[in-house]
Amino acid sequence: MKKSLLTMLCGIALVASAQQVTVTSQSRLLNGVEGPAYYPQLNSTATQLLFASGDSYGLKMYDFADNVVTRISDEQGAGIDACFNAQGDVYYVTQKLNANNLVYRTGMRYSVATAKSEVVLEAQHGYVRPELGSADNGFRGAKKSYAPAKGLGTSVYVQGSTLYITTNGVTKSYSPVASYAGYLWPSLSPDGKKVAFFAAGKGIVVTDLAGNVLSMPGKYEMPCWYDNHYLVAQNAKDDGHQFTSSQIMLVKADGSFATNLTSATSMAMQPTSAAGKIVYTTIDGLLYQMTININE
Amino acid sequence: MKKFSIISLMLLFVAALTQNFMRADEQPHVYINPGHGGHSSDDRNVVVAPYVQGDTMGFWESNSNMYKCFALRELLWKKGYKVTVSRETNTEDDDLGLSTIVRLCNNSGADVFYSIHSNATGGGEGSRVNFPMGFFRGYTDQPENPWCKILVEKLAPFLIGNQCTVWSSNNYQVWGDWSFQPSWGTQGYGVLRGNKTNAMLDEGSFHDYYPETYRLLNKDYCWVEGFNFSRGADSFFGRSGNLSTGVVMGNLRDDRRPREGILVMYGADKRQPVNGATVALVNASGETIQTYTTDNDFNGIFVFKYVDPGTYTVKITHPEFEEKTAELQVNADDVTYLNIDLKRVRNTPPAVISYAPVWNDGDAPVKCNEPIVLQFNWDMDIDATAEAFTITPAVEGKITWEDTNYRMVFTPNDAYEVNTEYTVTLKKSALHGGGVGMDNDFVFKFITDNRNHIYPLAVFPAEGDQVNYKAGALMEFRSAALLDGYNLSTHFHVYDKNGNELEFSKRSIKNNKAGDPYGYCRLPLLKALTPGEEYRFVVDKTLCDTIGLQLVEGKEYKFTAVDPSEAKDGTVVADFEAVADYQLIERDCANPSTAKLTAVTDKLFGNKAIQMAYTFGNYDPSGVVEFRMNKPSAEKFNVGDQLGAHVWGDMGYNTLCAVFSDENGAEVVEPLGAVNFHGWKYISKELKSLEADKSYQFVGYNLRKGPDADTPFGLTGTVKFDNVIKLTPSAIGDLKQVGHVQVGPNPASDYLVASADALITKVELLNTNGQIVASNASNFINVADVASGVYVMKVYVSGQVSNHKVVVKH
Repeated sequence: MKKSLLTMLCGIALVASAQQVTVTSQSRLLNGVEGPAYYPQLNSTATQLLFASGDSYGLKMYDFADNVVTRISDEQGAGIDACFNAQGDVYYVTQKLNANNLVYRTGMRYSVATAKSEVVLEAQHGYVRPELGSADNGFRGAKKSYAPAKGLGTSVYVQGSTLYITTNGVTKSYSPVASYAGYLWPSLSPDGKKVAFFAAGKGIVVTDLAGNVLSMPGKYEMPCWYDNHYLVAQNAKDDGHQFTSSQIMLVKADGSFATNLTSATSMAMQPTSAAGKIVYTTIDGLLYQMTININE
Repeated sequence: MKKFSIISLMLLFVAALTQNFMRADEQPHVYINPGHGGHSSDDRNVVVAPYVQGDTMGFWESNSNMYKCFALRELLWKKGYKVTVSRETNTEDDDLGLSTIVRLCNNSGADVFYSIHSNATGGGEGSRVNFPMGFFRGYTDQPENPWCKILVEKLAPFLIGNQCTVWSSNNYQVWGDWSFQPSWGTQGYGVLRGNKTNAMLDEGSFHDYYPETYRLLNKDYCWVEGFNFSRGADSFFGRSGNLSTGVVMGNLRDDRRPREGILVMYGADKRQPVNGATVALVNASGETIQTYTTDNDFNGIFVFKYVDPGTYTVKITHPEFEEKTAELQVNADDVTYLNIDLKRVRNTPPAVISYAPVWNDGDAPVKCNEPIVLQFNWDMDIDATAEAFTITPAVEGKITWEDTNYRMVFTPNDAYEVNTEYTVTLKKSALHGGGVGMDNDFVFKFITDNRNHIYPLAVFPAEGDQVNYKAGALMEFRSAALLDGYNLSTHFHVYDKNGNELEFSKRSIKNNKAGDPYGYCRLPLLKALTPGEEYRFVVDKTLCDTIGLQLVEGKEYKFTAVDPSEAKDGTVVADFEAVADYQLIERDCANPSTAKLTAVTDKLFGNKAIQMAYTFGNYDPSGVVEFRMNKPSAEKFNVGDQLGAHVWGDMGYNTLCAVFSDENGAEVVEPLGAVNFHGWKYISKELKSLEADKSYQFVGYNLRKGPDADTPFGLTGTVKFDNVIKLTPSAIGDLKQVGHVQVGPNPASDYLVASADALITKVELLNTNGQIVASNASNFINVADVASGVYVMKVYVSGQVSNHKVVVKH
């Protein structure tokens, strides 16, 4: 623990020379309140935070204003890849095995206002995962999908090595970068003008809404928009079995600049960012929040 | 009829389509991650001949993992599964991050995740093992997701069922990764973290167990592991029996010839695999269905895939082996294992084609440890051949086999007798591997040399010696022959009184080199000894010279640790602090200009000691190097007085003498003994050479060339000197003992007790200044409150006083 704190202090002192990026604050979240927490996700105003309680089970939501943690689901895997929609409601997926040990997944929406979850996409075999839109979220499923009646607005999702971008109700597919294993972690920039995703084996790819590659800023995982010009991402190394280092990176979307926000030994991972706030966890599930100053 | 047929066909098509949709709906989806990738630093390369380090054709875990993955995909497709794999090729771009692999799997919507690996002990070759292991996330008895443990358990019987490997343990180990690596906490394996599927990581076998390394080079061997994975998946999903064909896998090995060059092998792996054999699979109708040629990667593996169930015959042919057939039964969706041992074709009788030592009349004699080597034209039956071997006169020894039993080596346990004729006979009852004997007995003779052992020439410490207790005390063994330098120090040991072995300072060990006039090994102790305690310097019999002759017998020398700087009751006659106080004189030396006096800080008293460097010529047996005090002390010596000298020896075996001068300048030389020791030593000597009724001053030392002109050491060296004292009579008296008196324990911490054949009336304890520190009108003294140190215990018995040096130690 002392070592972790020391690492964090080192991170606070970190200043990148070219763009003068300074970590202005860094602190533990939910220290002594919650056990290990993984897969943090901020809402668009950075007032609430989703996280998986424990590595596999459950989904919880932390409210920064009243400092309250709400239990949304106890289901296995519910906290992994859960997300907020533009209105602040939560989309998540639960799963169960049938008699033949096949996994059936269900699309769930949790209303923050009513504190209730509802099924919006019935259980089906195969994948079910949230689709992120500027107006609302939906679910993409292997057989059936779900979209709210008003539509998602501008939205992105990936399937295999194809990027799907929907604008003005028209969905187009793009494969701007060759990647055998596939694309991951698609997201829209806050202004809705750019898309970032991760091409396995190639790294982060930033495109415009027409699928044109604007930059490939580096081989970092889990890219997440910090603002319209910068992304935060995870830079993890492994020996093929376990992680040997992991740190949080700040990457300029045009590919011209990258710097680490934590040291390689911080074992920091799974960053999320919104409204100028960065939250990440560590390999042993300690949540941290961070603010930075970028002086260009 | 035609219309009816068309409608019927359409209905059948719709029915089939519907059925297909339903099947697709329930199609299990398996995500396969062949571990590692890219032949890079986080990949695993095991170097086995003929492949060199880094050769991507050699063993890389990323290769064999991928072969298994492709086989599993191929079979799962045939069994109606949906399959996704994390890499199709093996480049650096395919070496995906662990978070990426997990996210890809989660995104795929798979039901099951297999991460396919093989294992490594990571230790020395002597620790190699081979067994399969499966891991799930969590503790072994408390999985994060219970279905993950079930997935591992469903796979286990199929992988441990592989009969073409040799397991060192017939148990598939099922582990939660948190239990297996508790030092990782709950970090666990990266591909299992956050993995929402039923996920496991398998270590199918140990790829650094070299016979397995070679098997994993065979893609078809890996294919069968993929097949067994598919059966594990079937078992998990309750879909077994979906494949209408079966698999045959076998391993061809020589029935006798041992496999060499690998330290650890288990079971049948100890025999050679057969490369280049042709295996034909023949059905009941006599038709050859498939053929397979074993590869040249020393694994002997053959595999027949997709074989219809039924009874078959396999027929193995190889130009160097006898043809062999075997019957087997193939079952659907199952593996039939068939390991076959092949017998080599040996079409002539065995014969000795060369031997050693070759000796003929007039040749130089053979050294006394020369092994006897018989090279044969065939690999031999080792038992029958050993039975047929004799040597006369009889010699105890060990027979070993090399070159896959083509070469027999007899090594004598110790050495042959010197100057002796030996006759070696191999009777014709010696058999080759095919069971045929030799045509005739094979006989040869040789005569041995005149030396069969090495002998100690000089040793320090010798039996009963005293050794300065301080760290760095030197032990040395010398012999006439040069000692073999390989692992030389391992033949020497020092043990304390409890049998604990003391360490040498390995970096400071010195030993002989080519051209030296004698063999030696000089070993400094790493840590200090305890003054007053007894130790043992042990030299193993296995110590050998450069031609392999061993020490005549193991030796053990007891010695005592002492503190030579311990205070003595006497007057300092010379303090050896400044070089200017002394002058150097050389006599009868071939190298008179080389001797030198130097003040050094390696001393016992004051600030300095005086070091004298000397060099004698090879042929100046009467050479003397000496030095004198410019201003001798006023203290006078008479005959019978006791001199105390502090000398640092170089084990040069030269004779050290004290020189005295009477008032007229007539000198008397008093020998103090040979410098046969290393380090500082206290020497006391009663002066018997002085003339009676005359007084003498101590004027210096001389060093005389060793008594034996042929002594190969001591021609050059250094000795050092510190305080010379004239001992007081009381101190001398301390040394007188009465024969029947004994004192103990020594050292003592509680009581010192004296025993004698007569009544003891009193005991006293004196310090080194002669002061009484304790006394008792009995036979014991309580020393619990006496400070640690060296004392003299005086025992009063029958009107006599017996003096005993004792050590108090707390």
